[in-house]
Amino acid sequence: MQAASAFQRLCRAGDLLRAARDRPVSIREAAAAAGMSPFHFIRRFRALFGETPHQFLIRARLDRAKRLLASSDRSVTDVCLEVGFTSLGSFSDQFARRVGMAPSVYRRQARARHADRPRGARDACAAPGCLTLMGIAFATFEKRERPVAGRLRRS
Amino acid sequence: MRIKLTSIMVDDQEKALRFYTSVFGFVKKHEIPVGEFKWLTVVAPGRNDLELSLEPNVNPAAKAFQEAMFRQAIPLAAFEVDDIDAEVRRLKAAGVAFTTDVTRMGPVTIAVCSDTCGNLIQLYQPVAIQVG
Repeated sequence: MQAASAFQRLCRAGDLLRAARDRPVSIREAAAAAGMSPFHFIRRFRALFGETPHQFLIRARLDRAKRLLASSDRSVTDVCLEVGFTSLGSFSDQFARRVGMAPSVYRRQARARHADRPRGARDACAAPGCLTLMGIAFATFEKRERPVAGRLRRS
Repeated sequence: MRIKLTSIMVDDQEKALRFYTSVFGFVKKHEIPVGEFKWLTVVAPGRNDLELSLEPNVNPAAKAFQEAMFRQAIPLAAFEVDDIDAEVRRLKAAGVAFTTDVTRMGPVTIAVCSDTCGNLIQLYQPVAIQVG
């Protein structure tokens, strides 16, 4: 069982990693903040958050990058540096690997999806609220399935 | 009116699907892509009547709420089990982190664990009430 204090210390280490934008936070540093050896820290962090501290840090940066790409006019390079990457190549590579497309393509698609929304509302609507996906999902599913059903009925 | 669907926010839908199926043991019911997200639901084995939606927590308001609740060690969902001791043993063997070990709380016995997706989950077993 995680003692309450160990749980809180791991949460604090998570906060430290999330907030690490201006300078890189080493695993050793995050482990020290949690009061654990790096080995112990990585093992317990992964059990709690489902990913290693490094994976957690990259995901937090990419999540923020997605929001900035969808809701601001800042260049991809600007966004890359703002979220804490130091190399555009590494940023684009990580982004493509985890999001499945280049940052510029993500921006174009996000904007097309929300073109009819006011700029101020884009940040929120780039991020669907609870259960809003259901209607869109079933509408899309029906549209995709209907021609097949039509063909089956005709044959 | 019936309760057939409820939801929990998760920080990564792929990771959540893996955890909720291969660790918790639920069964995937719907997985329909919607842009970069999915309409993703699971059900308990043999219980097709109540779905749990694994919702992306990318909305900043939802994320702030989820992180605050997690930090305060407050569970966001509770799942009933038949044998909490066995379930906790099984989950611990699978590497699941518990913040509250098996504890008797009046008419229920509970334990709280991380779902690795930003939530604490309370497992509970109602205590059998002896009648007569």
